[in-house]
Amino acid sequence: MATDLRISNISKIYPGCVANDNVSLQFKSGKIYALLGENGAGKSTLVKILSGVISPDNGEVFLNEKNLKLSSPLDAKKNKIGMVFQHFNLFETLSVFENLSIDATEDNKSLRVRINEILKKYNFSIDLDVPVLNLSAGQKQKVEIIRCLLRSPKVLIMDEPTSVLTEQETEELFISLKKFCDEGILIIYITHKLKEVLSLCDEVAVMRKGKVVSVSQTQNEKVETLANKMVGQKLAKIKKKINISKNKDEIFKVKHLNFYSDDPFETNLVNLNFSVKKGECLGIAGISGNGQNELFQILSGEIITPDTSIIFRNKEIAKLNPKQRREYLMAFSPEDRISQAAVPELKIYENVALNNFKSSNFFEKGLVNERKIKEHSKKILSDFSVNTDNVELKSQFLSGGNLQKLILGRELITAPELLICYNPTWGLDVGAINYIHETLIKINDQEKSTILISTDTEELLKLSDRIAVIYKGKLSKIMPSEEVTPEKLGVLMGGGSID
Amino acid sequence: MSLDISFIGILIGSIMASSVPLILAASGELITERSGVLNLGVEGMMIIGAISGFALMVITDNLFIAIVGSMLSGVIISLIFGFLTQSLLTNHVATGLALTIFGIGLSAMLGKNFVGIPGKEFPILFSSLRESIPFFGPILFGHSIVLYFAFALPFLTNYFLKKTKLGLVVRAVGDSPVSASNQGINVILVRYCCILYGGAMCGLAGAYLSLIYTPQWIENMTAGRGWIALALVVFATWSPIKVLIGALIFGGITILQLHMQAIGFRIPVQFLSALPYLMTIIVLVVISRDSRKIKLNTPTSLGRIFYKEK
Repeated sequence: MATDLRISNISKIYPGCVANDNVSLQFKSGKIYALLGENGAGKSTLVKILSGVISPDNGEVFLNEKNLKLSSPLDAKKNKIGMVFQHFNLFETLSVFENLSIDATEDNKSLRVRINEILKKYNFSIDLDVPVLNLSAGQKQKVEIIRCLLRSPKVLIMDEPTSVLTEQETEELFISLKKFCDEGILIIYITHKLKEVLSLCDEVAVMRKGKVVSVSQTQNEKVETLANKMVGQKLAKIKKKINISKNKDEIFKVKHLNFYSDDPFETNLVNLNFSVKKGECLGIAGISGNGQNELFQILSGEIITPDTSIIFRNKEIAKLNPKQRREYLMAFSPEDRISQAAVPELKIYENVALNNFKSSNFFEKGLVNERKIKEHSKKILSDFSVNTDNVELKSQFLSGGNLQKLILGRELITAPELLICYNPTWGLDVGAINYIHETLIKINDQEKSTILISTDTEELLKLSDRIAVIYKGKLSKIMPSEEVTPEKLGVLMGGGSID
Repeated sequence: MSLDISFIGILIGSIMASSVPLILAASGELITERSGVLNLGVEGMMIIGAISGFALMVITDNLFIAIVGSMLSGVIISLIFGFLTQSLLTNHVATGLALTIFGIGLSAMLGKNFVGIPGKEFPILFSSLRESIPFFGPILFGHSIVLYFAFALPFLTNYFLKKTKLGLVVRAVGDSPVSASNQGINVILVRYCCILYGGAMCGLAGAYLSLIYTPQWIENMTAGRGWIALALVVFATWSPIKVLIGALIFGGITILQLHMQAIGFRIPVQFLSALPYLMTIIVLVVISRDSRKIKLNTPTSLGRIFYKEK
């Protein structure tokens, strides 16, 4: 039987934020629908309403013209709406089978039989008796999907399902989703990744600031058109003019950087030598796990290596710790925003104060000058268009893009001469990426230098003046970026040579 | 004093009796903690159970009413904790501490008129068998019904948690209340039930002290047993069977060191008094050092406040 799901005039207002503003959409089985939008566009709120986790302030949901009262997750289950959450809703310490049996109505024996049938049908291989915490992200997601399938759902909602998957797991997921679709399950696929929409979905609804701004057939769309709809303005093509910097002074010079570790999860670095000129962006490309982590930590002073010479503004700083290096006007933006760059439990203004001990008058006689810090934080929030003006907000409630803007803002208030960043746009949506890129280019325009360690070749080619590739802890020769093509980088990143 | 076989039997019997309040309170607290709630009010709930049990016994002269009443009083006082932490979302640690202080104070006030009143003899089961069988007699027979219940409880608790649907729900709630709520489980209700059950068991543990173990009311008579029970739960890594082992070791060494003191061993008394605490910790740490098992048994959300999205 065909399924028809209709959402009519749904609104949900949180204090200070309209999460869903009069949203109306219609879905029919046999197709895969994409719900596309940037972080914070209201997609997750909408699916939470559909799955009964939260109730809307206004509006109705119809399934096959029947008005659904979704006041708890049980109601959604009863009405055969299945949901796979972005952050898995599994019990990590319970076994896979226990996870699946918790809301089952049948006895364990017949449940096991049914689970095994599903495993076989869709070619999933999962051990039912191991605790969930031992599974990979892809397997956990399969457990969630099985949980939905056990209730023979009419609607299956996937909330950003690929954010934690490897490429291969993503492919497997797409194959399964297409199978489900052929069997008549209506699939709603929530994402901010444009390419996935184009390769998987039949129809796409774009959300922005709580509203549905467009509904269209995917075949009529391209990456650019979708991106523009999602962000709401024409995304400026960013192209940096290359600095003609041959005669400029070298501001940062690394010699004989060696690093040796017993830890099998760390990469040894072998004799790296490079320098950065004033106003230049040096890009370091590579597939992750080739020594970027170690390199970043050495450059920032988290790891001190013997016999290495690091000259910064004519001073030897190789033995200085990160705090001392900051005092010489270096700034750092690590890869992991949540655990390395910011303390998620602290408020925004507290995070701003964290690494500005000396440069500012945030602290007087050992006391915290809260007023000054807050003023300053407000300035960062507005200068770097962070999507809040509440400096009391805990940092963990910022989206990835906003947190990254905050971190960059914090790093840049000291007007550093050199900014070292590692994957600054990892996991961000298009609008935020554009903003970060513009900021990084602006830094170079002001005659300050940057080192950009990144796994994203597109980003590197866009921003760097010169590029080197790191492979198994060794650095390739440094090339002017106009001589570099994505193909060349690909060869070097895979360990080949291009001479 | 001769260390003959029948003496050892009597000794083991008395060790079992002394560990009953620990087993009861710890088993109750274990269920509470498995649902993700950290109730530090064990000591307070026990002492309230002790005074209300004793008072009811004096007033009604009925031991059954006294026992049931002590459990009910444990339920009532834990209901305060439940209401504060689950409905008003207060901090578990602070609320639990307050509960203990409150319980000790309230029991002292209620107990003013009951000091010095002699208790009533509690009926023991199979007393004829106790005398007639050497060694095993004093171990297996001649105890109160509460003791038999206490020794069955860890196994029942284990069965409940591992084999029943409800036990699974309790573990799920303790693991991830958000996921459980999204699966349609009423997290607050489950946690309320676990808190009240914990209160009932603590009340019973207190009543055991004032009605059976030392049948009288003395102010502050739980003497820190509630804290030991709490520690047992953690050191036993939330495993009911290990709680039983820990309680027996603690009770055993407490009794043994008293005998050693009486005999006049040339070991400082202070060291002997500290011995039960030390040994219990050492043994439990040794038997629970499998880090994988610890991870699987620890209620991940322990002590964290849960509120439902609206």
